Amino acid sequence: MKKPYRRAPAPSASIDALVARAAEALRQERFREAIDLFKLLLRQEPRPEWKRALADAYHGRARDLAAKRMFKEAAMVLENALAPDGTLHDPLFYLECLIRDGQQQKAAMHALIYIGRDAALPVDSRAALEELTAALLVAVPLRPDPTRPGPAERTRWLELAATSREALDAWVSGAPAEEVERHLNRISLRSAFRPVRLLLKSLLGGLQETDRSRRLLEAITPGSPFLAFREAVEAVISGEQGIDAENWHRLTRVQQAFVAEARGLPASASQFLAHVADAARAGPAALYNFLSKQTDQPQAEIRSACLNLLPQIPDRLAQFEQRFGPLSPLERNRIQALAAERRDDWDRAERFWRAAASSVPSEDPQAGLMRGVIFRHLADLAAAHPQIEGDPDDFPSDPIIHYLEQSREADPDYVPAVLKLIGQYRKDDRPKDWHRLAEEVVQRFPDNSAVLQQATESAVARKAYKKAAGFARRLLQIDPINAGVRRQMIELQVAHARKQMRARRPDLATRELGTAYEWERPDAPNALLRIAHGLIGLQAGEGEWAEARLQEGVALAGGGAAGWFHAALETELMRLGGGLVDRLRKELAQARMEPPTRDAVLSVMTALGQPEATANRKAVASLLLGMRPWLLHAAAFDWLPAEFHVLAETFARFEAFNLLQEYARAARQRDVTNLTWRFYEIVARTRGDVERLSMSEMNELTKMADAAVDRKDFHAANRIERFLSGESVTSSDRRRSPPGLPNDLNGEAMEMLIEAFVSSMAKGPARDVRALAEEFGPEGAASVMVERLRDSPLGGEMPERVLRELCAAMVAQAMTANTPGRGGTVRRRRA
Amino acid sequence: MRDPFTVFGVHEDASDAEIRHRYLGLVRDYPPDRSPERFREYRAAYEALSDERRRLETKLLRTNEAALARLGAAALNAAPPVLARASKRTVAALLTEGTMRAVTDRQPPGEDAGQRGR
Repeated sequence: MKKPYRRAPAPSASIDALVARAAEALRQERFREAIDLFKLLLRQEPRPEWKRALADAYHGRARDLAAKRMFKEAAMVLENALAPDGTLHDPLFYLECLIRDGQQQKAAMHALIYIGRDAALPVDSRAALEELTAALLVAVPLRPDPTRPGPAERTRWLELAATSREALDAWVSGAPAEEVERHLNRISLRSAFRPVRLLLKSLLGGLQETDRSRRLLEAITPGSPFLAFREAVEAVISGEQGIDAENWHRLTRVQQAFVAEARGLPASASQFLAHVADAARAGPAALYNFLSKQTDQPQAEIRSACLNLLPQIPDRLAQFEQRFGPLSPLERNRIQALAAERRDDWDRAERFWRAAASSVPSEDPQAGLMRGVIFRHLADLAAAHPQIEGDPDDFPSDPIIHYLEQSREADPDYVPAVLKLIGQYRKDDRPKDWHRLAEEVVQRFPDNSAVLQQATESAVARKAYKKAAGFARRLLQIDPINAGVRRQMIELQVAHARKQMRARRPDLATRELGTAYEWERPDAPNALLRIAHGLIGLQAGEGEWAEARLQEGVALAGGGAAGWFHAALETELMRLGGGLVDRLRKELAQARMEPPTRDAVLSVMTALGQPEATANRKAVASLLLGMRPWLLHAAAFDWLPAEFHVLAETFARFEAFNLLQEYARAARQRDVTNLTWRFYEIVARTRGDVERLSMSEMNELTKMADAAVDRKDFHAANRIERFLSGESVTSSDRRRSPPGLPNDLNGEAMEMLIEAFVSSMAKGPARDVRALAEEFGPEGAASVMVERLRDSPLGGEMPERVLRELCAAMVAQAMTANTPGRGGTVRRRRA
Repeated sequence: MRDPFTVFGVHEDASDAEIRHRYLGLVRDYPPDRSPERFREYRAAYEALSDERRRLETKLLRTNEAALARLGAAALNAAPPVLARASKRTVAALLTEGTMRAVTDRQPPGEDAGQRGR
């Protein structure tokens, strides 16, 4: 924004007021005003500090002009700050303005002023200025002015510049190497003109001494005004068989001209290269025109170059085929697909890529690989562009999965694509396909660790323990440090043992856990396994070893209250009873006498984070109730936001909202600026129920979410949005069925659900549904809706039959209400 | 980043041996210690072309300027094996370009340059 210029005050204003205004104008970078004010002050009294301030103001003004590329004006402004001896405080900036304005001669003359006057130069810019001066003096001839004799050093510099030019002239005119070297030997290696000597020496060394020349040239460092020359010379001497194309394309046009001349490139070759460069600058059509007219160049190369331009100019396809012969269907479809991609026309791109895949010649030995590449590309496109629809015969299938399946069919040996497909099945909640593919692929690639990992996870999910163990063992042979699979297998066996204990089969549970030790690494004993094993042993009346195991597990889980909480929780999950439970409760009560530590509290949260703990909320909630006073002590800890989220989500999961309230309140007292605490305070007050929000809390949370988006804290924004949209605040609950979800829908429930869904749809929901029904018919529209809603938070958890019934009802409602007021009715009803 | 075929200037149907030969030649001329950026580009190009599927991806899903680069290289290879001399005008232009680059690369005009004066 243009700074407002304030007129300078009348000279009658007091000096102090003027000084203050001038200093303020300079500080606020209102340089024009500052210049006027300091000039006014200096007219009254030539104080040195005002002179310096005026020079600063000129400098600032020049800087503003240079930023607008007004280099001539910037140089003129700087000239106002010239000292009586003709020097400037920052000569490099002045030289920069002159050079960028094309005033090389003036720049050379000004640069020369500083030679022999080291005191006039800041130390840090001396070397740079000397190099620049040397380059300017070589480029622009200056003769000593006999009427204004300068220091002897300046005369020496002018002599060295003249010698450098003589050497260059001698080389240019084709003088023998000895003659050029005679000039070069007069240039001191310690002078700023040394680069001229190195450059010409390298050129004289020719193509035989390239290594030595390169070493010489390394003395010309980046930032040097001779660097452009160095790069050109390096390109000249680099290719023995000709000029290296790689180097050529990195050079500027001036450098290319130098290399072409210094390498004696024939005029026809130079012209061809220049024309190609000009045509390329004019655009692909111009380049195509130029190339297609070249008849004396190798035609296969011309064809290939033109072919690669066609995706940018697909209208030249017919012209191309006329000139070079017909393209194969694969090539034609590929070019059209690439052209469509360039125009963001994804429907067309998909159509042509599909056509390209089906036109791959089956006799081509790489046919399968090529089809695989195309289908994987389509899957990638589908992930990025919703216009990609997938299988037209199986609409509305998931296009990513469809194309990954096609890719696998075409190229079954490509493991990354298969793993991606497994990932998609898992993401899309298609467990049958996931397990089937994991089984198939592990047969095909039995030694691939990523495949074995997938197979293990699939078997764990199916609770196929033996299979999981087999895969895990094989995986650990390949990847012995895989801590994830070890932990997973232990958890699986402990879960199995709990099941056996609940079924009153302690013998089977003991056997189960006895074998689970194979998954431990000797240096990383597992607390959960030891606690479970010890408890089962004690329950079965075993003495010493079981007690030792339990104590060991409790210690590994953090000892004290945390360790005994793990053990007590395990008794709940195994549904143990009798004296053992009483004893553990006593141990826990005893341990709770000690005040909590941060690690102990987090260890308790880890125990509560187990999926089985969440599944047994009621039993665990009573255990947690006993921990309340102990946990309350920890509310005053200075929790990090990341730790706090874990605590808050755990408390909310077990409906310990009073605890959450205390923690949030204590955190707010410590730091009132962090909105995380306020968010959880609201969550606690409403007991996690959005319906209990007051209007002001609703507004507060909306503002909070907007502020989080503004500061790019998307985790916080999502967390608030999820709460506002009525989802659980706890991450692990998100994929679980909402409580009380009806398996059968009566009229009222259906109405309620439709309302919930329609209100959550983005734009004109009813209109959307009607448009779908018009396009695909009522049944097709319902199918499309099913696919869409399956991805929604509630729909993802809904039984398939209910989801289908709901969608059919939504379509029916949208079709009967053919007035645009339908959506409004829903909105009104919500209000 | 330039496409790998153009980086190596090889044909789309080049053999593995040809690609490897070209890669090694470039790395010998521009080793990582001297030209780290170039080496990174050559390495990436070699990785893209040495894997059969990635090479097909590059060939099918992208266009390249390799043929154009080869046409340019053919023109450049017409240079004789002995050095000639450049013209005085070109040398002067090169020196001017060097001084211009030195001042423009120094820092953006009017930013640090201006601040230094204060």
